[in-house]
This record gives sequence, structure tokens and C-alpha cells, in this order.
Amino acid sequence: MSVSKMEQPKVGVFLSDCGKQLSEILDFDALTTFVKGVSNVALIARGSEFWRGKGLQTIVDAVKSGKINRVVVAENITKISDVNIAQAVENAGLNSYLVEVLDIKDHCAWPHRNAPKEATEKAKAMLLSAIERAKLLEPIEKLEFPALKSALVIGGGIGGMQTAVDLTDLGFEVKLIEKQPFLGGLAARAGRFFPTDDCAICIQPPSSDVKTITHTSRKCVYRSGFSEIPNLNILTNSSVVAVEGVPGNYKVTVEKKPRYVDPDKCVACDKCVSVCPVEAPDEYNSNMTNRKAIYINVPAVHPQVYVIDEDACKFNDCAKCVSVCPTNAIDLDQKPEQVTFNVGSIIVATGFKEFDASVIKEYHYDEYPDVITNLELARMIDGFGPTGGEIVRPSDGKPAKKIVFVQCAGSRDRRYNPYCSGICCMISLKNASLIKEANPDAEVSICYIDIRTTGREHEYYYERARDMGIKFIKGRPTEIYADEDKGKLIVDVEDALLKRFLDLEADLVVLATSMVPPEGTSELAKMLDIDLEADGFFKEYNAKLRPTETKQKGIFLCGGATFPKDAPTASLHAHSAALKTAKFLNSGKIVKDLRTAFINDEYCGDCEFCPVMCPFGAITLEPTTENHFVARVNDLLCEGCGVCVGTCPLNAIELKNSKQNQIAAQIDALLSVNGTSKPLVLAICCQECGHTAVDSSGMAKMEYPANVRVIKVPCAGIVRVNQILDAFKAGAQGVMIVGCKTDGCHYEIGSENAEKKADSAKVLLKEYGIEPERLEMFKMVYIEGAQFAEAVQMMTDRVAKLGTLNLMGDS
Amino acid sequence: MFFSEEVTCRHGGETLTACYQCGTCASSCPVARLDSRFNPREVLNLALLGEKDEILSGDAIWLCTSCFNCQERCPQNVEIAELIFALRNIAIEAGNSPNIYADFGGALIADGRIVAISKFVEKKREEFGLPPLKPVGVEDLNKILEATGFTKPEKTEASK
Repeated sequence: MSVSKMEQPKVGVFLSDCGKQLSEILDFDALTTFVKGVSNVALIARGSEFWRGKGLQTIVDAVKSGKINRVVVAENITKISDVNIAQAVENAGLNSYLVEVLDIKDHCAWPHRNAPKEATEKAKAMLLSAIERAKLLEPIEKLEFPALKSALVIGGGIGGMQTAVDLTDLGFEVKLIEKQPFLGGLAARAGRFFPTDDCAICIQPPSSDVKTITHTSRKCVYRSGFSEIPNLNILTNSSVVAVEGVPGNYKVTVEKKPRYVDPDKCVACDKCVSVCPVEAPDEYNSNMTNRKAIYINVPAVHPQVYVIDEDACKFNDCAKCVSVCPTNAIDLDQKPEQVTFNVGSIIVATGFKEFDASVIKEYHYDEYPDVITNLELARMIDGFGPTGGEIVRPSDGKPAKKIVFVQCAGSRDRRYNPYCSGICCMISLKNASLIKEANPDAEVSICYIDIRTTGREHEYYYERARDMGIKFIKGRPTEIYADEDKGKLIVDVEDALLKRFLDLEADLVVLATSMVPPEGTSELAKMLDIDLEADGFFKEYNAKLRPTETKQKGIFLCGGATFPKDAPTASLHAHSAALKTAKFLNSGKIVKDLRTAFINDEYCGDCEFCPVMCPFGAITLEPTTENHFVARVNDLLCEGCGVCVGTCPLNAIELKNSKQNQIAAQIDALLSVNGTSKPLVLAICCQECGHTAVDSSGMAKMEYPANVRVIKVPCAGIVRVNQILDAFKAGAQGVMIVGCKTDGCHYEIGSENAEKKADSAKVLLKEYGIEPERLEMFKMVYIEGAQFAEAVQMMTDRVAKLGTLNLMGDS
Repeated sequence: MFFSEEVTCRHGGETLTACYQCGTCASSCPVARLDSRFNPREVLNLALLGEKDEILSGDAIWLCTSCFNCQERCPQNVEIAELIFALRNIAIEAGNSPNIYADFGGALIADGRIVAISKFVEKKREEFGLPPLKPVGVEDLNKILEATGFTKPEKTEASK
């Protein structure tokens, strides 16, 4: 049953005294009498608590009887009781958004326990404000949006493959696309992994693999049955070119480059490769060797189907491969094709790549062949690699006996990448140990700034490396140069611990290059309308709570797409992304409270403020007549923060659950009851960190002046300058805006916007003859209750010093 | 105030705390290889650790040739050469500077040059057929020096 707009509000007010302890401070009889005098109050009940048990039943009964159609509860543990009461009221047949709960203990009785009279007056103001808001509340409906039970995974590296396995195991249809002709990504080229020392191509097989009978099973990708998962569609050699639609139903267009070999016919017999006369650099082996124009990366790769290198192949001028193929699998006339399909959600698993070390001129990476990167070294260590596992000098192919690693090549470097890539220390320790294991006579040194081995078992790698006789030199080399007489490279470094300058001779210098986002990252971010961090990696919505989510609720991230990761972390991340996707799509629908923004077409038009400011991309512009347009809110994307409301120059956009008239009625009510000798200060608090800071000060029984009046809004970003002026007009002597910390704002930019607005409001206040310091923006988090108490004291003292503001006077 | 703050609030000293002691500056430094009294990494570490007296009374900061190799190579964009200037300024204010700086200052005020015209220079110019150096007017210069608060560094007893 929803309340029709025509029906008169009948407010039930439930006053909890928290086991009579609140009535020892507040005058409950006075409160009852006060509430009775407020219009539209149909019922007043007093009790110990109303959020559970008998108390809650009282509310439920009153709602069911039809005696009341709005519920106001003065409770003592609001944030829990809010949820409980709303649910019970909904079950009783009244929309849960017709409930207003106020915290009479932590926001009033406790902090003002030594000023009971003032506290009682404040409680009256709080009750009046809640009742006035309740009267104006409107039911908020729920809407269901369909969600396809399918997902697209972009990137076939270790993260993408793992997440695809998880999702297909859970029954979702999965499309996995990989830009390269073969799966595996960067991880497959790394050879061995730490800390498990196993092969890079080893994965946890899908449950559709009937031969996987043990819980502990792990297999190489090519024998895991990964490619045969019935609900998995793998598209290699493919890239996303367009994405449209909404969470739950994205229309994706993928471009498939021609492979020129039919996977259904190819039997991997190697005949084509042996007759191919063309050689081209083998990028899988970092161009350290050549491969044929028709090729397969390494034997254990997926798919076990050859591919033709378009840039190298002579096509019909040669066609030797076509003539020898026993199954007629090769088609040199294949064209690129576009495929379009719909999925419920998208998981970005695009990983990272090695930084181009040639930018660091003093290391001469592009000049000296014997300066290589860790990935190139990993290819050399790999038995399938260009040297068959031998560590050699690329310049002359002779065995490398003296090897120097240079850490942080491009990482922790403000000129290139200021961040620590996090995995390079372990990669170097692993590779150095593998070299030493195979060639105990090799002289291996690692030049480092700090060795970072923070994971479990990681310190062991450092320990083992010292045991093996690997030398550690604390110092970042300034230059690598060639000593042509000796035919060696020289690494010029200061050993800071010995305070000695070293010219280390080396056959091979290995740069532990930083890891950076791969090409196409920003284009993909644009296509998906998700953000990147300053480092260029995809932005995780909240590093602590939502590490695999983005601001778009249907788009998830996993693995190295958010930051360089080792394999165990990428794997964990992949499981998390799969779980988040499954949770999102599982019921086949997305249910959403429409606590969203709506447009008043009468005022809206021809301005672009709200679509630009909306942190969630929920607002678009729709043409009306020629050269004119209005804003439109996408209910599915809108998070109900109200940043748009605060931005609109014309009051043309509102939040359904925090309308302007509701906020205005609350401000008027809060400021209409004083009862203290002190000037009233209005604190406009965001419902997240700001309001909880008020909670925590009360919970900790901190005391502050009772002349502060708190109003809760969804986000500080909703605050409008006219509301601030209205507050002063209604009698506030000071106004505080309390929001989250800038970086911790729950709605990205709300707090920051509020601060800017407060600054511009100050200018306006001055124009109106109001001292600008009567307005102040504060940013705090839950644990900073003491800061809230201090801020109230400060504002109270400040406005007392300024004297009474007389806006109606003749001055 | 911590000494590191005293340095960072000065012109040229702002980037001190970005230093993480990687030693790229030290291995870039042509002086450090030849004279163990100077090592830019050590100077920065002393500043970070607040060893003010050791920096101000020592020789190290005066040995830098301002070649800027270190600054060019520093991965943290620490302006090492500028930092050394800042430290020298602090030292001069504290009355700690090699006497040659007092000579430079005196020459600047008197002749408008930091290196006085010596017999050697005059002779060489003559050999090359160059005209003798004329004294320059110092009136305008001294106005600038006065406005900027430049005073001649005092000579200390222990001549350096």
C-alpha cells in the first residue's frame, strides 16, 4: 500500500527513553506536550525502545491499523534501528521511505547531559524537524531492470582466464576476448612464478573437465579443458571496438582479425611452419629470435592453431603452406569480421606491460644488446625460449658469466613512473636464483634501492639468494657504459653501505623495468566510461571495500588492470571479480530503489552542468526542439547523491528523497526552537562520514554546546547556496557544512564541490553584509567525533564574538 | 623547527624530503670519486637527519662544482645542486663560509666582479691582443645588492 499524494499525512511519533535513562536528562513530558501541538501528529507513543521486540510491534500495529501513514522514531541507536524499522514498516504495508528516525541519545541527550534544559529544547527542534520532513515524504518505488546472465572478459591472461573459469563454473555464459592470437598474456611469458615455483601456464581447471577428479588438481592451460568449457566462447586475435547499453545489458562489438587458419580444421601438424620461407621477429620472445610468418607461440599454448603474421606473409605470392596443409585449414583470403553480442556485465582484465626502458638514456637499453629486461631474461631462462634455457650475451651468443640486475628501472622515478611496481624485486630474486641454480659459477649481483619482499614466502627468496652467493649492492647505478677493450658492460654504482664507488663488469645487465598500463588502456576506459588513476591504470572504486569494482556498476576489474600484480594476487583478484559479477547478475535482474534524481522540465534546459558534474555518468542531454535540450537521469546509474542538485543553477533537478522543500522545512523547524542563550549554529552533515562523526562524538559522551542543530543530507555536494542564505534568514548565526574527507567522499566529488561552493558562498555573504566566517566547511570521518565537538565549540565562540546577525534590521 | 624543514622552506631547498638515498647522485658525482670529503647522498642524508652542525661546519657543501650531473639523473627530481646552494646560504648566514667567499663578496661590492682583475689576467689579455678590462660602475649594482639584503660574508679566523 502506498500513500497517495492526496491523502493527509498522519504522523505517528515514537519516543524512546532508552530504559528511562534519557528521561533523566530530557523532560519527556515537555517533549510529549510539544509534539502534541504539532499539526498532523496522529499518535504519540513512549517506550524504552522501538527498534525491536514489543516496541517495534507497536509501530507495526499502528501502521497496520491505518491510524498513521508516516513514522517518526526518536531512537538511541539510530543507524541500526533505521534499517530494522524501515523493513518492519515495509512488511506492514507502508513504504519504507515514509519513516524518519532521529538519534535523540547520541545527538542530544548524551552530549548535552549537563545542560538538560537546553537539551530538551534541542530535542523539541529535532522532533519538529523530523515531523515536518515526514509530512513531506513521498513513497519511493523499486524498479527492476533485466540483467543478462552473461559476461564479457577482456584479456586472456592469468586474471582473465581465472575469472572466466569461475564464472563459467557458476553457470554464466562467458565470452573471453584476447587481443593476441594466443591466450596467456604476460604471465605465460614469465616462465616460472613465485612463490610457488611452478610454470606460468598452470591453472586451476574448470569443473566441466571430467578428468579433474581431485580438489587439488592444477593443470597446464592446454590440457586443462579450458578451451572446451561449454559455456565459454574464446575469441583470440580480437579487440573491443564499441560498447553501448546499460549495466545488465551491454551491446558489445568486437573486431576479429583474420587468423587465416580454420581452428576447426587445423591439426597442428607443423607442416605449414616447416615450409614457410619467411622469417619475422618473434615478439613472444621479445624479438630476441625469429619465427616463421605462420607460427604458434610455444607448444603448450591455447589455441593449438597456427596464425599468419599479416605483416610478414607474402600470401598468394607464396602460398606454400596452403599446398602442404593436409586438412585445407588455411584460407589466405580471410577478412576481418565484426561480431556483436549482448552481455550483462564486463570484466576488464587487460593486465600490464613492461615499461620501455630505452627512455632511460643513461642505461642505453636500445643501444647495447647486452642490456636486457627481466622479461627478456625470463624468455632466455625458459627452455622453450630463444636460447633453449641458456643465459647468453645477445651481442655474441656467448655464455653470460657476470650478470648485474638493476632494480627500479623506471619505477619509483618521478620522471617516468613514481610508483613502486611492487613485483620487480621478487622477479629479479627469482630470475637471479634460477640463473645461479643452473650456473653456480655465474657471478650475479643485484643493485637495489630497497629490497621489497612483503608477501608470505617472499623473504625466503631473498634469504635463498644470499645463500646462493648472489651479491647485493645498495645503490642505484647512474650509468651503464660499454668498455670496448674488455668487451664488457660497466655498471657505475655507489655501494652506499661501504661508501665505495664500483665499476661493476658485466656480460649481461638485466633491467628490472617498471610495469605500466598496456596500449589501448585509455581508449578502453573511454569506451566503458570508467576512470583511470593518475598512474594510467584502471581506477578501482574503493581500494579497501571494492577493489574489483568501478564506478559503473556492471563493469568490474581484475588482475594487473588496476596495478602491477604477482600471479597469486592476480588470481585472488580474479576470484573477487567473478564473485562480484555473479552477485550482480545472479538473479537475472537488478532491483533498485528509485531514490534518484529527477528533472523539472519547466526549468531545465540548454545547460550542461549536471551531466558534466555527475560522478556516475547518470545524466545525459536529450534534444527537445532544434538547438535545445534538457537533462535526463538514468535511474539505473543514479546513486542518489545530489551532486547534480548542488550544481544546478536553476533548481531544475531534485532528489526524490531529499527534495528542496523537505530540506527547507527541516532547516526552518530546527531553527524555530532555541531555548538557549547561545546563538544557533546549523550543521549540514552528509549522511556518510559527516553525520557519523556526530554519532561518534555522542557515543563517546563528548560534550559540546547544545545550540548546534544538525540536518542530515545525502552528500555535502547537494548543498545549495540559497539554502545557506535561507538558514541565516531563518535565524542561524553560523552554518557548518560537514562532509567526508576529499579523498574519502562516498560520491567522488561531493565533498570537494561543497567546499568550492562554501568558498563562493562566502563571497556572496560578504555582499549581503554577513560576515563570511559565519560559514565554514569541515571534513571529517567517523572516528573524528572529537573534531566535531571542537568544531561546534569553535563556531559557537566565533559567532558569539561576531554578535547577533540581524538580517531584518534596518542597518 | 627541524633542520629539514628549515631547508625545505628555503628557495632551492624544497625538494629535500623526496630523497630516498638511492645514491644515483653519488655515482654521478665527479667530485665524490676524487675527494672523500664530499658525497651528495651523504650531504642530503645529514640534512634529512638534522645534522645541522656537521653540514654547516664541514667542507662538504663547498666542494660541489655545480655540474648538475646529480640533479639531471636523480629519479626523485631532487634539485640537489640547488639544495647545496640553499645549504651554503644557511651556512653563510650562520657565519660559516670559506674565506674566499668574503673575498668574492668584497670584490663584488668594490669592483662589480666576483673575481678581482689580477695581474695574471691582465698579462694574458695583453698577450692575446685584448683591450685591458675597464672598471665597471658599481653604483647601480650596489643599489640592487642593498635592496636584496646582500652583505659581504665575514672572514672567519680559521681560514679555509
